[in-house]
Amino acid sequence: MQQSKQQRQRIYFTGVGGQGTLTATDLLAQAAIIAGIDAVAGEVHGMAQRGGVVESFLLLGGWRSPRLDHGEADVLLGFEPLETLRGLPYLRSGGIVFSSSDPLPPLAVSLGQVPYPTTQAVEDAAKKVAGQIRFIPCRTLGLEAGALPSGNTVLLAAACAAHAFPFEVDALEAAIKTRLPQKLQASNLKALELGKAFAAS
Amino acid sequence: METDPLFAGGKGERHLLLGNEAIVRGAIEAGVQVVTCYPGTPSSEVPDTFARLRRCGRFSLEYSVNEKVAFEVAAGAALGGAASLVTMKHVGLNVAADPMFTAAYIGTPGGLVVLTADDPGCHSSQNEQDNRNYARAAGLPCLEPASALEAKEMTRAAFLLSRRLQQPVMLRTTTRVSHMRGVVDFDDIPSATTSVPFNREPGRFVPVPAVALRRHKALVQNMEKARDAFEESPFIQERIPQGKSPKLGVIASGVARNYLADALVAGDIEDSVRILELGATWPLPEKRIRSFLASCDRVLVLEEGDPILERDVRALCQREGLPVSVEGKDEGVTVFGEYSTSLVLRRLAAFLNVPCPVEAPRPPIPDLPGRPPNLCPGCSHRAVYLAARRVFGDEPVYSSDIGCYTLGLLPPLRTADFLVCMGSSITAGCGFAKASNRPVVAFIGDSTFFHSGMTGLANAVFNRHNIILVILDNGTTAMTGHQPNPGMDQNMLGDAAVHLDIEAVVKGLGVTQLRKVKAYNLKAVTEALEAFKNAEGVRVLIATEPCVLYARRTLKKRQAAMAVVAKQGAEADACLKELACPAFCRDGENLAVDATLCSGCMVCLQAAPTAFKTQAL
Repeated sequence: MQQSKQQRQRIYFTGVGGQGTLTATDLLAQAAIIAGIDAVAGEVHGMAQRGGVVESFLLLGGWRSPRLDHGEADVLLGFEPLETLRGLPYLRSGGIVFSSSDPLPPLAVSLGQVPYPTTQAVEDAAKKVAGQIRFIPCRTLGLEAGALPSGNTVLLAAACAAHAFPFEVDALEAAIKTRLPQKLQASNLKALELGKAFAAS
Repeated sequence: METDPLFAGGKGERHLLLGNEAIVRGAIEAGVQVVTCYPGTPSSEVPDTFARLRRCGRFSLEYSVNEKVAFEVAAGAALGGAASLVTMKHVGLNVAADPMFTAAYIGTPGGLVVLTADDPGCHSSQNEQDNRNYARAAGLPCLEPASALEAKEMTRAAFLLSRRLQQPVMLRTTTRVSHMRGVVDFDDIPSATTSVPFNREPGRFVPVPAVALRRHKALVQNMEKARDAFEESPFIQERIPQGKSPKLGVIASGVARNYLADALVAGDIEDSVRILELGATWPLPEKRIRSFLASCDRVLVLEEGDPILERDVRALCQREGLPVSVEGKDEGVTVFGEYSTSLVLRRLAAFLNVPCPVEAPRPPIPDLPGRPPNLCPGCSHRAVYLAARRVFGDEPVYSSDIGCYTLGLLPPLRTADFLVCMGSSITAGCGFAKASNRPVVAFIGDSTFFHSGMTGLANAVFNRHNIILVILDNGTTAMTGHQPNPGMDQNMLGDAAVHLDIEAVVKGLGVTQLRKVKAYNLKAVTEALEAFKNAEGVRVLIATEPCVLYARRTLKKRQAAMAVVAKQGAEADACLKELACPAFCRDGENLAVDATLCSGCMVCLQAAPTAFKTQAL
């Protein structure tokens, strides 16, 4: 199916191994497909997941490539603020950033070798590139929803509700209901509501 | 399983699938009967998806002990008449190269598809080797999908071609294709697959020299038949812009086809070039390429990895006397790593001599805290490495192997000084010790030990080598996602496989200096290594403890307690620096243990007894 260029969008996801970045990518891809939009997603498995940075890509509306290069992403979804900062070169000028504001300091920080960047530094760097920025306390809201990993859904829902994607939050809700196992539904649907509320705040 | 769309889904359904899952669906649509594998990123989801579906009873699946074995079992199954599939990562094909070259001579009547998943960019590998070279060297027709849908379609086509020619066929993916998700349209699954009856024909199937010489000619003839098939293949696509006849052409293969398509749209230059996309890449569909070249003054070849297609096209132009200027690899599009849309667009802009619409990349933000991959909190390898560091320090040379435990190379553990390939910890370690007279401490995992450590250990005993070998037995193939290996507990293997005892194997190979300890028991590991330190000969320590993720997810072990800091100060800080467990974190100036990360292994309590204490959960 050939889509017009206007509907095309490229999304960059970044987070820490074990956080659920790939599940979030799959969920958003499903949401796009439910909304009738062509989707290609790219992931990396294996060694990259051992506590390291996990990046993934979602390309909507007819793109064929399974990966993004620097300067190509229309939207950056960061599930950890340091990784949002590290991933900023992927964002095109004027792009959209939705990021968790809850840090997961890497070992080098615990060892006292390097300081963790301040929230202000992350926001300042993002402002230099992005046209729209939202920081969300995803871990905090995830716990409020009932499970830490559903903090990712808070972020996705907030971005959907803020019209960051070429589909609406109801497609994400449908994806949660069709794609996630029964036992994860309640916390993720709660997270969806928290995300919508956050976007409206 | 019964409701899994990969098996239950019928013609007309569309599903979002991982490239590797699409390969499984393609094999099932082709009626695959026998699947063998050795897991390895980025190929592992293929056998793991088959494992999820195995109760359908349509195919048999085995996790073989290495790729050579997997290839031979699959080749034997194909000789026995079954539609067979063998899967591995790119470096696995080096291990399986011996049977591959001769299987191509004698042929594989039931059909044999060889999946090699290459890893440009070394996401999870020790090299960037381009296995298209093997297709050419061994004589295997090669198909290279670029999308999830093509992964399914080409797998099915590979089976059909393999059975028709009775030759093994290569299906070559790269990491991005294996691990991309895309929409796949389903076709029907055949109700049953017929096997090809085996007729005794030693003059074909037993390649003594006289037979081998004849079969070499048969192989070349069969490859010509494959070439004829590829000339007509739907996996060769030519696109000429409507109403235009540009004299500039681009030929692309593999995943580069995607970046090319996207770059043409992103740069709004679709009308400037004619395109030839090759999905069926070997034997070269020469007629199709020749007719494409006949319309071009200049042509650009785009392919990740080695400039294989580029050389083929240059050779074709020379042979045919075509006055076409051929361009390819340069300082932008190199043999290194992966391509991207922007990279290809920059190259296209130079080729077309138009301004490049790609904005200059912003430099990475400097001095950010690194987040390299690390051994998990509670990983038993960390406990063994701590003990080894305490006993040996920097005196020996540490010979490492392939697995999660290679991550021991990172400070502060620093227990990997060199590494060649699967199993080389023992053999290369022996050679190093012989040449240098330095003590060598080698580390190998349980799956890698069965893969190619056993022969090396036999050699070490046989040739009186001098080495301390630590077998890090975590009871599973951890790095690639907890696939079975012969060392896995019988209860977890079920009826499908039989447990082999590593200790008995080591003894059987003639090792007399052997100890077995629990890896979390710091004192026991330390004492064993101390005892080996000043001894001579082949010394083997088996350190057992289930992989912490496997214990939690599969063995369903419940965590009873976690570690907490009992006393701040020098001992706690020293433990942080020496053990560097990822569960350690800072709470202001104080050291703390992250409750969401601590696995309760209690190695820190043993390493720094006054600094930590246990807290029940």
